[in-house]
Amino acid sequence: MRNGKRRKTYGLIFLAVMLMFLPGCWDSHELNKLSIIAGLGFDIDPETGENKITYQSIIPNQVKNPSGGGEGAHAIKVVQNTGSTPYDTLSRAMQHSSHNLFYPHAQIYIFGKESALQGIYPFIDGIARNVQSRPNVLVAIADKEAADILGAQDEDENIQAIGLTNYIKLSARFSNYQAVTFLEFCNRLMSKSTAPIAPVLGVFEEIGPDGKKMKKARITGMGVFKDDKIIGELNEMESRGLLWVIDRIKSGYIIVPDASLQILTAKSKIIPELEDGKIQIRVEIEVQSKLAQYMGKQDLTPSILKELEKRQSEKIKKEIMAAVQKSFFLHADIFGFGEAVHRSYKKEWQELEPGWEDYYSEIKVVVKVKTHINEVGDISKAVIKH
Amino acid sequence: MLLEKGRISNFQLLILIMGFVSGTFSLMTPGQDAGHDAWVAIVLGLMEGLCIAWIFTNLSRKFPDKTIIEINTLVYGRYLGKCISILFIWYLFHISAIVLSIFSTFLNVEIYHFTPKAVILLCMMLVCASTVNRGIEVLARLSLILVIISITLICLETLLLITHMDLKNLLPVMDIPVNKLLWVSHSVATNPFGEVVVFLMVFAFVDHPKKRFSTVALAMITAGSFLLIIIARNSMVLGQAALTSNFPTYLAVHMIDLGDILTRAEVVVAIDSIIMVLVKVSVLFYGTVMGVAQLFDLHSYRPLILPIGILMVIFAMTNFGNMIEMFAFVNKGHVLYAVPFQIGIPLITLIVARLRGLPPKWEVEN
Repeated sequence: MRNGKRRKTYGLIFLAVMLMFLPGCWDSHELNKLSIIAGLGFDIDPETGENKITYQSIIPNQVKNPSGGGEGAHAIKVVQNTGSTPYDTLSRAMQHSSHNLFYPHAQIYIFGKESALQGIYPFIDGIARNVQSRPNVLVAIADKEAADILGAQDEDENIQAIGLTNYIKLSARFSNYQAVTFLEFCNRLMSKSTAPIAPVLGVFEEIGPDGKKMKKARITGMGVFKDDKIIGELNEMESRGLLWVIDRIKSGYIIVPDASLQILTAKSKIIPELEDGKIQIRVEIEVQSKLAQYMGKQDLTPSILKELEKRQSEKIKKEIMAAVQKSFFLHADIFGFGEAVHRSYKKEWQELEPGWEDYYSEIKVVVKVKTHINEVGDISKAVIKH
Repeated sequence: MLLEKGRISNFQLLILIMGFVSGTFSLMTPGQDAGHDAWVAIVLGLMEGLCIAWIFTNLSRKFPDKTIIEINTLVYGRYLGKCISILFIWYLFHISAIVLSIFSTFLNVEIYHFTPKAVILLCMMLVCASTVNRGIEVLARLSLILVIISITLICLETLLLITHMDLKNLLPVMDIPVNKLLWVSHSVATNPFGEVVVFLMVFAFVDHPKKRFSTVALAMITAGSFLLIIIARNSMVLGQAALTSNFPTYLAVHMIDLGDILTRAEVVVAIDSIIMVLVKVSVLFYGTVMGVAQLFDLHSYRPLILPIGILMVIFAMTNFGNMIEMFAFVNKGHVLYAVPFQIGIPLITLIVARLRGLPPKWEVEN
């Protein structure tokens, strides 16, 4: 009995001692030994064909005191490296770094124009295979080089990549461009008919808070891909049209002659119809909006609102048709019409699928918009003498 | 001399089977090959699994207080019976090693990148060995706590993922050819549902043998519905990307994002898989050591725990060269490999027992 007790005591002491040695031996991540990556940029040099990877890494002890400002005290550093493949480049970058690269906090992947033209699959595969990468990171295309975008500044956020990500997400709320996550991009890439899309970023010069010129990144359009290669770009109007169809409109404004309308809710449905072996796509959109500003200088009447509703639906139709025309021109099914046909007509899809790319630009698209102005704000009479 | 003095109730058996079945799907996703139709494959697989369960519960009802090892000896005689028993014990041992190697690969790939597999496996094995050493009653009580934790975690994950779900990802239904769907549903039937055949080693210690089939069926249906929720959720959250991932559940939970505050919850999946694999491997390990002890008419199975445990760890470390080989066996090879053990042995034993008029009437009446 006593013997057993003693054995138990020794056992406990042994376990307690082991506890000191065991935790995190192999897989410890110490913050002061990590280079936390906030954004990754992928470029291909058009002349040499070499891969160039730019990453923005966070310097943790500089993040807390942004007041330092001025020269020297940056919360991020931007590092560039070249190599023959993405991982060759990254390993070269790591060899020149005193810290281990740490990916799980990456906010955005940016692909340079040249790499997007040549095909971004090598990068996509490398990212997806890396167990540290996350599916909800944003994807964007640079209009020139990804390195320029990551080298830009953000006046509100001292980690530019986080500022950039927030900017893309916020601007998606105004429903001109869509924020595309890595998962969405991959799903479109894997789809047999739907073409991938990603916002395109450009760099603009602005006057910063200190009066000096600063470079800022802005969205300039939506890039359209065929497989992993970029083939075209949607402008603001076409991009809005795309968002109407794929039900991604959340809020934002519709500007019609004489009035600005704020979108309250928007719903859309893609209904494929098959008649005599011909596909017709019916897009039904239901919008409820609020009058934000009226320039007609007269009191509101039901007939005026009717007229505004009509203008609103015409505007929406125009935007959608612009997007449809552009996608027909590019032969790229950005709306997922093919998937919609697949969902509704499983058998017929088997025949349509191989030739969908050519067939796509011949389908008829009918847009039906139902709009309603629910609210007119605080005044219903004009604030001016008649 | 009784090898196991403990008895467990039917409710404890139900929980134990639920834990055993979830041990598989907390790690990998059966039926994933059917793409977004995986949930159809699971429903069909569950039905086939219930048919398999009907066979082996019938066998156990004929011999209520005997394990499959004793049944084999009784039905086939001393020598042939022991040969068949060795095959069955091999199956338990093999499945256990496969589960351990999937488990260690999962942790190795997703979380502990630099930790040697041997360390992960030894830690797991020590806990399992300690559980088995304490007998079936402790295992059953332990599984109740762990299954409740696991169900809570699964429900929590699913609730947090609702905003990311897109019902369109499940359409169109029955998109893949029927023969492929049936093949996948058969693979679901063998793993995880058919694997419940290993409880032929445990049924002997459960009260009320008459309720056996209803208990097993209820456990399978409950666990199956959780599997259904997880699979449908993964497809709805991830879309086609669910096909590419090695561990889709882990990837899907990455998407949890509650106002930028509650993010990076994927380690919950790892916790879930650790506790459920503990239940699964413990049951398999218990079956193996108990089987070997009965095979050689030992007085206790406890001396076997250490050597068999070490063999299991070594086998788990060496049986697959890489993850591709592992999934190829689990998703394709195991489909046929499991049939003789899950359906063959119980069915033939049942038929032979009936032909030989076993068990004798006077024994049943007693």
